[in-house]
Amino acid sequence: MTVNIELWATDGYMSTPDGNSIYIWGFSDAAGKKAQLPGPRIVVTQGDVVSITVNNILPEATSLLFPGQSGVLADTGTGPHLAQPQFDGSGNLVSLTDFADYPGNPDTNPASIKYTFTAGNPGTYLYESGTNPHKQVPMGLYGAIIVRPADYDPAIPTRKTAYGENTGTEFDREYLIVVSEIDPALHSAVEKGTEYKIREFKPRYWTMNGRCAPDTMFADGMGCLPNQPYGAMIMAEPGEKILIRYAGSGIENHPLHLHGNHTRIVAEDGRLLKNGATDLSYKRFTVLTGSGQTYDQIFTWSGLGYSPADPIPTTVPNLRNLGVGDAGWTLWSGSPYLGEKGDIPVGVTSFNGIGEYYFMLHSHEEMQITNWGEFPGGMMSMLAIFPAGTLGDTGIIE
Amino acid sequence: MAVINKRFGATDGYITMPDGSEHYIFGWVDLTGIPDSEIFSYRGKAQLLGPLLEAKVGDEVYLTLTNLGMPVRPDLDDSHTIHWHGFPNQIALYDGVPEASISVPVGRDFVYYYKPLDPGTYIYHCHFEPVEHIQMGMVGPLLVRPADYDPDNPAYKTAYGYATGTEFDREYFVFLTELDSAAHHQVAVVQEYDWTEFSPDYWLLNGRSYPDTVKSGADLPEQPFSALVKANSGETVLLRYINLGYQQHSIEILGIPVRIVGQDAVRPLGMNGENLAYWKNCNYFAAGQTLDGIFTAPAPGTYPVLNRDCYKNANAGVTPGGMVSEVQVFTAGTLPPQAGPGQ
Ligand SMILES: [Cu+2]
Ligand SMILES: [Cu+2]
Repeated sequence: MTVNIELWATDGYMSTPDGNSIYIWGFSDAAGKKAQLPGPRIVVTQGDVVSITVNNILPEATSLLFPGQSGVLADTGTGPHLAQPQFDGSGNLVSLTDFADYPGNPDTNPASIKYTFTAGNPGTYLYESGTNPHKQVPMGLYGAIIVRPADYDPAIPTRKTAYGENTGTEFDREYLIVVSEIDPALHSAVEKGTEYKIREFKPRYWTMNGRCAPDTMFADGMGCLPNQPYGAMIMAEPGEKILIRYAGSGIENHPLHLHGNHTRIVAEDGRLLKNGATDLSYKRFTVLTGSGQTYDQIFTWSGLGYSPADPIPTTVPNLRNLGVGDAGWTLWSGSPYLGEKGDIPVGVTSFNGIGEYYFMLHSHEEMQITNWGEFPGGMMSMLAIFPAGTLGDTGIIE
Repeated sequence: MAVINKRFGATDGYITMPDGSEHYIFGWVDLTGIPDSEIFSYRGKAQLLGPLLEAKVGDEVYLTLTNLGMPVRPDLDDSHTIHWHGFPNQIALYDGVPEASISVPVGRDFVYYYKPLDPGTYIYHCHFEPVEHIQMGMVGPLLVRPADYDPDNPAYKTAYGYATGTEFDREYFVFLTELDSAAHHQVAVVQEYDWTEFSPDYWLLNGRSYPDTVKSGADLPEQPFSALVKANSGETVLLRYINLGYQQHSIEILGIPVRIVGQDAVRPLGMNGENLAYWKNCNYFAAGQTLDGIFTAPAPGTYPVLNRDCYKNANAGVTPGGMVSEVQVFTAGTLPPQAGPGQ
């Protein structure tokens, strides 16, 4: 199949939960739309011929790299050719690949470019700017690509997999978490056109899917976050196989720790962890997601069977003697049991729906779970385990 | 299978660095077996690291957290929690995340319950405002022994169970954290600290900085875990590496490669059971990760342990210091059997 995608490289603003509005560069999926963070999710199938056109309306040249894809072709109107690094007349590297120039450049280079590649391998990948990437990628010119295996069929459980039938990567629900950092000084320098030294890069915000906690826990497409359309809350039911895809689109490496259970890493960088017949997948409780890396994991939480009929072996003290919702809100149900609700102290708002459990997902470099030093914030979200049969089709990436 | 009852107090205190500087901490103190009438005398006596929490697969652990308050910061009415980092299939109530269940206010108790399912090296820490409480010192080692563990039978004195290739004669912790003295000072004097400015000036092994790392446990009562590794030549040594700092670290022992037999409390096994244990000279690992490494003590001598990011081998800029320690190997038969982990 041929998949044609059109992107606009443009600018916009992201919101942070502490009330900041930060200038970004990024991709949008329609002319006249603001940049979104991260760029539009691209979901294709193995074997697809993927054509991505970038229309540049930024004040400088930009481009796209597709790490993990081979044989990428570029076409600026003179016909497709192997995408190649670009050098100026003195032999200095000006772009890691063919680029779209800024509109109105007197050199009259085209301001749009079409890249084409065949999605050869299933997996999780990044796309990102290859022009001034030290500036353009942290500014927001990045996004993720999911390539489904050729035999993918969400209606057949053995073919609803990350890497194909019989690869041990079946899943029930699926989530993508792209992690990055924000140094507001870089963004404001780009907005004002002032100088910024990248060696002074010092993040004050850390993001999951372009959002800082607690915004990470909001649903996709929230009206209050018009340019940050993707939530980062993982929702599942006990015993389900959850495919969690991490992608490190920032500069730093982040140790992502998921409470509740180990994850099983089944693939790195879009390649199944398998050597011949030997399955090399492995379990971890903290996954160091390096800059540019992707990790595909299968996670299952089945619990320990506690219920009112098979109660926990301790007595919960009167809630007057405990801290509940110290910040005025809680995700707790008030009950130790899945699917049960209990009392929550007066004055505390519970965002718990139907007695689901919440487990934290966060960077274990703990300053990264703040918004400019204030906890809670940053690179943090939650895994919510809902009672069996209550979630419907949440966690399906289209 | 045993029932283990433990009680940990949360309070504040001070630790000392080899240059004589004192640093305010939050931390844990062991109240197990202390009568209620006496627990208040433990206020202000936090230790770094927190007391060792040790259990066997199948044991039932009842761990009471008692919030003793902060004598140095009576204005600070922070709650605390205990998070068992890596506990499989945890329920929210015992997971210690205050936003997702409960926390323990000053003067109150809460009992956490665990029935360990899988052996390995874990961590416990407070999860209340974790950027502050972890850096301030509310961390400790947690080890789960296999169900068949028997210290008196060499074939069953193992990290992961009989015939897993993880037999050992002695075991030690390599527990990594950092100390940003400016942050600790700000907390002590009731000032805000911008955690994005985190910039440690001491790097700690088992809560100590070199040369305190090689002193005995009793030499620094508030920092009771020595980081000195001792063995007789030919003995098998298990190192339980834990990183609970906010940085990635690279630890090597000059002259002694280690065989990695566990990562994040999981043996390196193929999904079909293949033993994928492997050798490393330099162990690079991140915050929130643990490793189990085994080596056979070579010829008698002293083998330095160091952080290969050498700027971390300093105390406030002065070398040698920081994450440096030693493996001391003695002639066979010199040392008596080890009394307990890290002893
Ligand atoms: Cu956590
Ligand atoms: Cu605490």
